[in-house]
Amino acid sequence: MSRSDAHAQVLVIGSGAGGATTAAVLAEAGLDVLVVEEGGWVEQGSVVPFSLEQMDRQYRAGGVTVALGLPSIAYTEGRCAGGGTEINSGLYRRPPADVLARWAVDYRIRDFDPDELFAIADEVERDLSVGLRPGAATPASEVLRRGADRLGWQNDEIPRWMAYPPDGNASQAHRQSMTRTYLPRAERAGARIEVGCRVDRLELDGPRARAAHVTHADGRRNTVRFGDAFVCGGAIQSPALLQRSGIRGHIGKTLAVHPTVKLAARFADVVNTVDDVPVHQVTEFAPDLSFGGSASQPGLVALALSDHWAAFHTAMTDWQRISVYYAAITSEGRGAVRSVRGVRDPIVTYRLTRRDRELLRSGLARLALVMLEAGAEEVYPSFRDAPVVRNRADLARLQDRFVAGRASVMTVHLCSTVPLGEAEGITGASSYGKVHGTDNVWVNDASLLPTAPGVNPQATVMAIAIRNARRFAASRSARG
Amino acid sequence: MAEPRQTLEPPATTVVTGAAGWLGTALVHRLLAEGRPRLRLLARDTAQAASLRALGDVHVVIGDIARSQTAARLLHDVDGPCDVIHAAGLIHPRIVRDLYEANADGTRHLARAARRAGVRRFVHVSSNSPFGTNPHVADVFRAEEPYHPYYAYGRSKMLAELEIADAVERGLDAVVVRPPWFYGPHQPPRQTTFFKLVRAGRFPVIGDGQQRRSMVYVGNLVDGVLAAELTVGIAGRGFWIADARPYTVTEIVATVGRALADEGFSVKPPGRPMPAIVGRVAELADRLIQRTGRYVQQVHVLGEMDKTIACEIGTSRRDLGYEPAVELYEGMRRSISWCVATGIEL
Repeated sequence: MSRSDAHAQVLVIGSGAGGATTAAVLAEAGLDVLVVEEGGWVEQGSVVPFSLEQMDRQYRAGGVTVALGLPSIAYTEGRCAGGGTEINSGLYRRPPADVLARWAVDYRIRDFDPDELFAIADEVERDLSVGLRPGAATPASEVLRRGADRLGWQNDEIPRWMAYPPDGNASQAHRQSMTRTYLPRAERAGARIEVGCRVDRLELDGPRARAAHVTHADGRRNTVRFGDAFVCGGAIQSPALLQRSGIRGHIGKTLAVHPTVKLAARFADVVNTVDDVPVHQVTEFAPDLSFGGSASQPGLVALALSDHWAAFHTAMTDWQRISVYYAAITSEGRGAVRSVRGVRDPIVTYRLTRRDRELLRSGLARLALVMLEAGAEEVYPSFRDAPVVRNRADLARLQDRFVAGRASVMTVHLCSTVPLGEAEGITGASSYGKVHGTDNVWVNDASLLPTAPGVNPQATVMAIAIRNARRFAASRSARG
Repeated sequence: MAEPRQTLEPPATTVVTGAAGWLGTALVHRLLAEGRPRLRLLARDTAQAASLRALGDVHVVIGDIARSQTAARLLHDVDGPCDVIHAAGLIHPRIVRDLYEANADGTRHLARAARRAGVRRFVHVSSNSPFGTNPHVADVFRAEEPYHPYYAYGRSKMLAELEIADAVERGLDAVVVRPPWFYGPHQPPRQTTFFKLVRAGRFPVIGDGQQRRSMVYVGNLVDGVLAAELTVGIAGRGFWIADARPYTVTEIVATVGRALADEGFSVKPPGRPMPAIVGRVAELADRLIQRTGRYVQQVHVLGEMDKTIACEIGTSRRDLGYEPAVELYEGMRRSISWCVATGIEL
């Protein structure tokens, strides 16, 4: 992009699961598309997954940001070409049909046909090579299956969007993230992609947005004029940009997340798989509560032990026999995203309800029970002053001492800050993602999901983004 | 596919503790009706012993379950296969310490004596209380759950379960049966208050009344206890024995009201629900009171009223062949007509 003004028929802001699919669909429909991405383009394999270098280059704020509240909830956002798809675990879950049906009714979303979304999901699954892992599961994943089976609790293997080499060597898999799939597709169809380019604000003239004011990584500033803008910065950055642009309405007021709590568990044998995450999830209590495995590099094991480091740190010498697991809940709480004039990043708050705290407590204990059943020698729950759990009596101690305010609550699933639909007062955008009160500003990312879906949300984000982008492309070509 | 359930023959001797209690009396009635050969029953005092002897040909031992000599006397010199059904338990104590002595120490003494006596199968009657309350209204306790005892009673019953687990490790063939709140004939006087409150339209419904409660008709519970006694290959496991489904508090109050009306009682419509804060305050008060070692039944019960305590019985159905035969309305009618026949004023 030159120092002078640029122009695009459609400006797509952000290049994650929402932005990349939007760009590909619109470019393939013959529209002139410019994608701007705040982060850089990092080739897969050039940084080690879950490493500090990756956090620095691909995560916002070097890894962790915090939603203020009691407790504060740490969250991570991708900030790179491909967004969250470059750094997440690559687990793929279709949206539950009953969740889609409830959204359609509660938020009065027009033409929100689960069958259409599932047909799109079929395509996405082909495009991303969604499938089960070849060969045996990793030991850390096997732990979840074994523990749950012994309790008679439902569990299953989550498919992932990974391409495996012909010999089926799972450790040589390639993540089918956006930089390997929809972004190259968008480029092949003529889309331009500009990385290291942050949108400061949109300039509006009444309901109509005219231009985006952008700052480049090297400090240059200029404006981009466009016909339509698609804001796809994720559930924190999208509402923040709209707010900075002076757009009012139901924007950023209903942040929804899946709060998670963690524990580390030590086994007799080596379970730690440094470069891979478990693919099994325990779904017995879904959607309210689900258990899975987390990345367990030594640094992350240390992080999981850090809440009661004085008591737990000696376990670190056994890190190869330790793996980290999480319990995630659907939350009745809500958060807010507020941008503050003159401050670069928005202030994010989140409040857990009493039911959420109870669910985190019982979720952590049930997860610890899975670990004991799987043969864990010691379990280290991630909250301040947590007891070491070695047997069932210790589970009572865990629950007695658990206070959500002392736990490391974190989340990777952020959504619902600009819910779509026609219901007044609870939606920020139309049934197809056009921001209420504007003519040509669209949101097309996780912000649109009316609530947190209770499953890994990427599939839902992609299906809805593709639906909306197709609708938009069809309306443009109809108009000529 | 699961293996078909294998069952044992009834034993030569059946020992029942807490025999004069609510569940115990119902059990003894059933065992006598089924023609169990020898019943050896533990009673707390001579009055209880007399009422048990009045039921039929039974051998009664009088003693305090909290004392180790009681268990030894109870299991002294049994010959032939012997099963123990440990239904003794203290729920509303005078002081908190009594709970631990009766429930935890008593169970340890009895399990140890049972191991020494070569008891064939030991059925320990536990409770929902070792598991506390569900984290939200839609949650249901599974057959296996992490302990989260509800105050001192829950802790004492958890310790009892841990004693059983320990005894199983040492070779005792024991199983745990967990009934939630039960109802039905032979009810103790405290349960009469429940009917009176419903009649007066004054039962304390807290909040929206949508909290769910698993309950069990005492006849269903007897079915479950005997199924657990006679099922092969389940040592060390625990089973929920409850009615087919949990009920909401609103449904419980309405159903009891209907059962009372159909038994000919006048019933006032339920009054306004209490705000949720009442339950919180009562729970807090209960905690503070129990911390001082004292116990006030009304406060304890009120503090628990706004909680969901729900369990699933799928595992018990599958592995014990347990089928709850009676539902809330029918069970409550039987309970009410039993009260009337017994001359208890409601």
